[in-house]
Amino acid sequence: MDTSNPAVFVNAELLRLYMGRRVRAVIQVMRSDGGGAVTGQSTDGQQITVKGNPPGPLTTFVEVIGIADGIHSIRAEIWSNFGDTLDTFSYNRICLLANGDYKHLFI
Amino acid sequence: MFGSSQLDSFSGGGFISSQGADPSRTSAKSRDSPPLLPLTIKQISQAIQSTDEKSNFVIDGVDVNNVRLVGMAYKKSERVTDVAFAIDDGTGRIECIRWVNDAVDSKEVEEVSDGMYVRVHGHLKGFQGKIQLVVFAIRPITDYNEVATHFLECIYVHHCYRKPQSGHSVSTPSQTDVPAAVSASSSGHNSNQFSGNLSIDGLKGIEKSVIDYLEQPSSLAQEKGIHRNEIAQQLKVPLEKIMDAVASLESEGLVYSTIDECHYKSTSA
Repeated sequence: MDTSNPAVFVNAELLRLYMGRRVRAVIQVMRSDGGGAVTGQSTDGQQITVKGNPPGPLTTFVEVIGIADGIHSIRAEIWSNFGDTLDTFSYNRICLLANGDYKHLFI
Repeated sequence: MFGSSQLDSFSGGGFISSQGADPSRTSAKSRDSPPLLPLTIKQISQAIQSTDEKSNFVIDGVDVNNVRLVGMAYKKSERVTDVAFAIDDGTGRIECIRWVNDAVDSKEVEEVSDGMYVRVHGHLKGFQGKIQLVVFAIRPITDYNEVATHFLECIYVHHCYRKPQSGHSVSTPSQTDVPAAVSASSSGHNSNQFSGNLSIDGLKGIEKSVIDYLEQPSSLAQEKGIHRNEIAQQLKVPLEKIMDAVASLESEGLVYSTIDECHYKSTSA
């Protein structure tokens, strides 16, 4: 069992706190240019860019796990399609709780 | 049976075991070991192995029997009688084993592939210093709201078991520290969820003052208890209000009458 490389739940606001660290975020895909970058809206309504090539077609909501390499960008390692409907409010709440009072349960 | 974890009742969402979903039971009495706990792998890594022969693990002060995890499966390797894989839920990774005994089992694991989000139910087992999960049921996730919901349940259950046991605990503690946006709606949510099961939080001001007064060492020291007139005098509250408060506290099991109907003592003595 290994807890050495956790991926922190972040939204755009929290992303800046974890520069260079492994993070996970759910984005609503807005546009994806073929050049290896996808722009999306994070669960708190702000835009972030995800660098990397998705392995296949993307659904409306995508979770990316990767390294935070800019205050508004993530270099993705793993892409997971989260479908076309998702409650971003709950996910955003998780981001706040996992970085707040209940941080010890997550990282 | 194993695969279902529907949240039928609001008393702890089915995870906090209480005898017969009786809403007036206090949190102090509902700490029997729960049948199923939603956990993060980080929580499991912090578990203490209990020293009795059952070799159970203890998390947040409760014996852990079965656990539920939601995460990404990977490193799946099918062997003859079992399938081994690892689950990564973002907080850590844990090795899992799913014993395959019949066609139903093998069909279940066939649906799982690497990189897929799954929900597993299983039992924790220590093996050569590591903790592994013996999986009873594994299901791919189709609605990804389950991911957020699972973590919310982990937080909720953890919060319930960490609440202080004392008879006069403060009201739901999360409100002071959590940022305003979170606490504004979570306070409403909390009072709905908690008022049925953990009734101490629903104590009104007067009841709280009465129980506080009765729990002072000077009050506890008196065998006969305290006369309600004295409580009324000390707290400067009208007697009818004291009587209401005492009746309510009595039904909660927090105070009892001693030599006659007018004298009361706290049950936590």
